[in-house]
This record gives sequence, structure tokens and C-alpha cells, in this order.
Amino acid sequence: MQQFANPTRFLSLANRALPAIWAVTLILFAIGLYGALVSAPPDYQQGETVRIMFVHVPAAWLAMLVYTVMALASAVAIIFRHPLADVAAKAAAPIGAVFCFLALTTGSLWGKPMWGAWWVWDARLTSMFVLFLLYVGYIAIWQAIEEPNRAAMIARIVALVGFINIPIVKFSVDWWNSLHQPASVFKMGGPSIDPSILWPLLVMGLAYSFLFLALHLMSMRSEIAARKLRNLQIARSGEA
Amino acid sequence: MDWNADHAGFVVAAFALSFALIAGLVIYVVSRDARARKRLTQFQEAKK
Repeated sequence: MQQFANPTRFLSLANRALPAIWAVTLILFAIGLYGALVSAPPDYQQGETVRIMFVHVPAAWLAMLVYTVMALASAVAIIFRHPLADVAAKAAAPIGAVFCFLALTTGSLWGKPMWGAWWVWDARLTSMFVLFLLYVGYIAIWQAIEEPNRAAMIARIVALVGFINIPIVKFSVDWWNSLHQPASVFKMGGPSIDPSILWPLLVMGLAYSFLFLALHLMSMRSEIAARKLRNLQIARSGEA
Repeated sequence: MDWNADHAGFVVAAFALSFALIAGLVIYVVSRDARARKRLTQFQEAKK
């Protein structure tokens, strides 16, 4: 891993990997959408509404995964001072925020016909909303503080402190009485979903993961270019 | 998928919203990447 912390090596690797990652993403989305909209049967209780799960659940998984990536990158930035760690955390935030917003809104679109309400202040929904606020706060720090080192330091702390919310999101349905259904894929004893519904869900989860990987690499590449340009401009103004 | 089923509109709305936002995110990331790299290249060429 250490060798890829060098921005030049990272860029060379990213440039080579991106076309393949985009291709895999498109293939996975095609297979996943076929499974979600054509192959999977309607649920015996939820009817066709169960199909919302194929976009809602992967978005929720990715919202948590991306924040975990940000917290890990922030920890690496503090401990090892890797040049790419802050870049990785900063580049991931807007992508994670969109996934989190999608999880909230598609969940709301599922909740109205199933629960009879667009929103309830349930432990899972509330902790997910807090996660969205953490994303917005993290992005706001980078936007509001002009001095990059100071912004990075505060952003790292927010990412690490906010990480406490991830286990709360995950286990909220076990710790408190919740309207939201409990875990049915990643749980002890294996998934409790029928394979005809499980495989499109897992393929969509993989498609969202590859989408994140592609977007994250591109965002990191543009952040590296922006930082390089800023350094060159500073060096040039120093020469003048 | 039965497009005439009860609540099918909610399914369509969820998929449409998801793909509209994902498309917007992809356009934002790709255009920001292209712009940042173009600016850097222009600066480096101007410096030469």
C-alpha cells in the first residue's frame, strides 16, 4: 500500500484502472437492473414496492461504507501523514452524501405506501439523517476554511468523531424498538431473503460499489490536480 | 414488474430519482476532473 501513497504512482494506476472499472460498473448495473425489474418476483406482502429495496439498500450500504472509508483515511492522515489520505477522505465526501440522500429519499418513497408515512423519527431513520448531516458538515468545513492544513485537521477530527454514528446506524434496529425491519442480509446465520430477490440486491450492491470506486478515483485525481496547480501558483507568486 | 400494480408509481419515482442523482453526480465528477486537469495542463504549458 505504501508505494501507492505516492501521487504519481497513484495517478498512473488510476488512469490504467478506470476504463476497466467503468466497464464493470456498467455491466453490473445492466445485470442488476434486469434482476431488479424483470427477474425478481413481487413480494407476497409488499407487492411491487419491494423493488424499491434494490436502489434503497445499496445506497444505504454505500453511505455507511463511504463514511468508513473517510474515517479510515482520516486516521491514516493523522497517524502516518500519507499525502493521499486527506485527498481520499475529501474526495469521498460528496459521493457519500449523495448515496446517503438517496437512501433517505428512496426509503421515504418506500415508507409512504408501506407504513403510511413519508418519515418517522425512528432510530434507524434518525441515525441515517445524522449521517447525512455529518457529510454536509464535513463538506462545509473544506468549503469554509481557506487554509488547507487547518481545514484538513478539523475535517479529520469530524470524520473520526462522526464515525461513532456508523455502528449506531447498523445496530439501531437491534438496540431499539424500530419500525424499520432488522438486518436480513449481513447477519448471523446468513441472509433470510429468498435467493430470487437476494442475487439482484447483491449485484446492485456491487454495481454501486464499483460506481463509488470509479467516482472516487476520478475525484481524487481532480483533487490532486487542483492541489498541484495551487502549489505551482504559490511557487510562481513567490518567484515574482 | 407489473407497471399497473398498486404503488408502481413509488417504484418508478425511486428508480428515476436514483438514476437522475447518480447521473448528476457522474456528470459533476467527470466535468470537475476534466476541468482540473485542463487548468493544470494550461498552467504548465504557459510556464514553459
